[in-house]
Amino acid sequence: MIRPYRHNWRGYLFIAPATVYLALFAFFPMILAGWMSLHRWHLLKDEHPFVGLANFTAMTQDPFFRNAVKNTLAYAVFTVPLGVITSLAVAVLVSRPLRGVGFFRTLYYIPAVSSQVAISMVWIWILLPGEQGLINYCLGRLNAWLGADLPTSTNFLGRPGWAMAALVAMSLWIGLGPRMIIFLAGIQSIPETLYEAAALDGCGTWRRFWYVTLPLLGPTTLFVTVTTTIASFQLFTPVYMITHGGPRRTTDVVLYHIYKEAWQKFEIGMASAQSYVLFAMVLAAAALQLWVMRRGLTEQAE
Amino acid sequence: MKNRRAAGRGSRMRRRTSTFLGRVALGVLAALAGVGPVGCAGDETPDQVTLRVANWGSPAVESSFMALERQFLREFEQLHPGVRVQVEQIPGFGQYAPKLLMMHVSGSVPDVISLDASSGAAFMDNGVLRDLKPYIERDASFRLDDYFGNLVKIFRRGDKLYSIPLDFTPMMMYYNRKLFDAAGLPYPRPGWTWEDFRRTAGALTIRDPNPVRPPRQYGFNFINVMPFWVLWLWTNGADVLSPDGRKAGGHFDGPGSVEAVQFLTDLMLKDHVAPTLEESKAAGVDLFRSGQAAMDLKGHWMMIDYRADGIDFGVVDLPTNTGSPTTVVYLTGLSITSRARHPDLAWEYVKFMTGREVQIRRVASGLAISGNRHAAAHYAGNPVEDAFIAAVEYARPPWGATVERYPFIEGLGEEMLEDLLYSKGSLGVAAQLRRTAALIDAALSEP
Amino acid sequence: MIRRLTTIIHYLALAAIAVTTVTPFVWMVFTSLHPPSAQIPTMANLFRPAGWHFSNYSYVLTFGELPVWRFAVNSVVTTCGVVVFQLTLCSLAAYGFARLHFRGRDVLFFIFLLTMMVPAQVLVVPLFAFVQRLGWLDTYAGLIIPYPYLSTAFGTFLLRQFFLTVPQSLDDAARLDGCGELRILWHVILPSARPALVTVAAFAFIWTWGDFYWPLLATSSTSMRTLEVGLSVFSDAYSGTRWPLQMAAAVIVLTPVLIVFLAMQRFFVRGATMSGIKG
Repeated sequence: MIRPYRHNWRGYLFIAPATVYLALFAFFPMILAGWMSLHRWHLLKDEHPFVGLANFTAMTQDPFFRNAVKNTLAYAVFTVPLGVITSLAVAVLVSRPLRGVGFFRTLYYIPAVSSQVAISMVWIWILLPGEQGLINYCLGRLNAWLGADLPTSTNFLGRPGWAMAALVAMSLWIGLGPRMIIFLAGIQSIPETLYEAAALDGCGTWRRFWYVTLPLLGPTTLFVTVTTTIASFQLFTPVYMITHGGPRRTTDVVLYHIYKEAWQKFEIGMASAQSYVLFAMVLAAAALQLWVMRRGLTEQAE
Repeated sequence: MKNRRAAGRGSRMRRRTSTFLGRVALGVLAALAGVGPVGCAGDETPDQVTLRVANWGSPAVESSFMALERQFLREFEQLHPGVRVQVEQIPGFGQYAPKLLMMHVSGSVPDVISLDASSGAAFMDNGVLRDLKPYIERDASFRLDDYFGNLVKIFRRGDKLYSIPLDFTPMMMYYNRKLFDAAGLPYPRPGWTWEDFRRTAGALTIRDPNPVRPPRQYGFNFINVMPFWVLWLWTNGADVLSPDGRKAGGHFDGPGSVEAVQFLTDLMLKDHVAPTLEESKAAGVDLFRSGQAAMDLKGHWMMIDYRADGIDFGVVDLPTNTGSPTTVVYLTGLSITSRARHPDLAWEYVKFMTGREVQIRRVASGLAISGNRHAAAHYAGNPVEDAFIAAVEYARPPWGATVERYPFIEGLGEEMLEDLLYSKGSLGVAAQLRRTAALIDAALSEP
Repeated sequence: MIRRLTTIIHYLALAAIAVTTVTPFVWMVFTSLHPPSAQIPTMANLFRPAGWHFSNYSYVLTFGELPVWRFAVNSVVTTCGVVVFQLTLCSLAAYGFARLHFRGRDVLFFIFLLTMMVPAQVLVVPLFAFVQRLGWLDTYAGLIIPYPYLSTAFGTFLLRQFFLTVPQSLDDAARLDGCGELRILWHVILPSARPALVTVAAFAFIWTWGDFYWPLLATSSTSMRTLEVGLSVFSDAYSGTRWPLQMAAAVIVLTPVLIVFLAMQRFFVRGATMSGIKG
């Protein structure tokens, strides 16, 4: 039965609740943030003088904010490639039809759905200096086993570079599951026939991976890279729970900096301006990656 | 025909369903909107009122002090039947002020809060607290005169008063009498200068025969806490900020400050009469408490530990180059918040806790000196206590009582000193002070 | 023979990764059973506490100053509220976009999708100011309704995809019976779309339950905290002491999500592959 295309005004009714909701709680806040960022807006004070772009210019000169941006970029630069590579490797590992592989897949996913606060609490233990901390303990065992002389009392959270490294390690541990699943889906969508053809041409396992799997995973890799980047700009809970931005502000990332600006200094005008900068960073990173990798993919296709 | 009628029925059904759903949803939302923290409208009846009080200290830690506070609460509840006092313990001393201010912003701040003057500016200058003047004027049983005038002054803004002094401590120089006796030195006397101090500290430092090892005994114990070491600027006639509290440049990096910070770093790095940061950390204990340091710049509360450790201590004014005695007073008061739900009851509570009887018992441990003159006088008569009480006459208020960003400034100062003490002069004292003063000024003048 | 070897190596690799994944959780559970005032257990005595203190759990749940049971209630109310609320919004909107034709439909849908682009954290500052003005701070309304994470557009998108796959003939049959649009949605579409609904609900549940940033700001008094935030308050309060109690609280917070996840993992994995992930 052919149904005529009929304008049904009831459609508006159905989308009305969600539209009103988004208008109020998504669009309006965006506009409000823009408005607030042009004022000196302190949560406790009644007067909000208009300051134009002063918040933005002050931000560019503020060494603490610049430091936060630097830290966020550094974190992303390490987390994204390492995260993508490790999860791809694990995805390959779980893509073979071994018995019980589903169990492992589920297991690896658990940190991703677990309470970030609880995980942060446990990682404090992992990073403890001295014999109680897991990493130092393992180093100590390695020393005993191999007769090596590795340092076993590193205070990871007290040394500037190490604290950031610890955060990167945490993000790899947590994010492995979801990224692995996406790569897995990509791997499983590659038709067997391609592998068979490659095998007939005399390709070994490694060459099959390099020339068949990897190229066909291009779009998937792009997707994982972009989403991981966006997520890495939103790091907050471990910084709040474990490092508090330290030591000496070396793990002060933009989102944590905004949190302090808005809810410890109560300067929500400046914090709104900084939020826009964060938004711009996310957009820029995503756009850049899309552009670069699209170029790579189209070149590859040719 | 049938379709249209059926459609009509259908749409009526739909309208009823959607109206019904809509009403349910609205009802749920309305109910939820009102549901707030326990202790809100629903929980109270006319005969059962909850007074909410905030204090710092972890709710998880049991201490005799907190047990005592709870005892006072119970007594207050007995005096006011139908009243329940609920304490909101806020852990993490540095988080107390931001958390309370957040609660104020959220509309869920308690009725009474303990106010630390060192972070009090944000509370007093932003309408977070109630003016207590009307309560004082209306209440004949309350005499503001019962409290040390210099403390009350700190909580004033114009003719408004925002807090009643609860307890306080000036910072003084403790000295270990046994170590002085062993070295054959006379006890320090008020009016002593920095030079006197340096010589004394040198005489009290006992080196280890092995030059690689740290001294067996230090003349002076030092920790990098700016609320303590800012006194070295003050006793040299210098300061962190200009008198109006708006500018650090020219003051924090002025000649007097440079001299003071240089003096401090020399104590540790050049003369080595005070422990370096590494040595303090390696020792793992407070060196004055363990009897390994002869002098320390601390407040009244340390007495509790010193007595427990069996230290025979004396107390003297700080060494000063200005010719007149100088120190800071750190104090706490009780305030009623501007959004308090039970202000009159809160006033009764403030009166009760700052009253002479409760105060005498409250500071019996030696935690601090009571802000109530009469309660403080109860403990007068011994030289140590008298020295502390006498200091309140000339002690200056902390900057945090007037400058909102001061806690942040203290953080910057401590980082700067840590750099100076670790890097052993890669950037000289003057340069570090200048750099930090610029950072402070940037923080003070944000758009 | 070589196949055997590679298989063994394969399993070893999988096991090694499994060990790194699981060790922290194992430590958490065992530490939570140590005596409350014990020092951090070393690896040597981790599995041999001085007595198995299951009482830590009841202590943590009922500790007056930091009532974890209360945090749990708040989390349940918030999460269920968000799930129900968002499912309602999204189902209605998805039906409108999938089944009904009206002017500007596709443009509006595109605008919907645009909101997915905005990272939630950017919204939080102005949202806070807005919610404060509404008087919803420190209330359930403030926790449930202005939820900046639950991309309503995302849920709408997912559901719409699914609704499009439901055969139109079912609709038509219902319409012939005199059903209006809402009834069609309720009686025809939604039952067929159960897997999609469960997926959206599962995502919403896990996102909301584990969310930290917004509830941290939207609540300020202890009795309104959700589990995630309450756990951080708990950790603050003990701050480096009483690890067994802290770990007991952590286990309590972790367990519900794990249960939901393990029960729903089928849907979860499928949903994850269908769309974007919070990583």
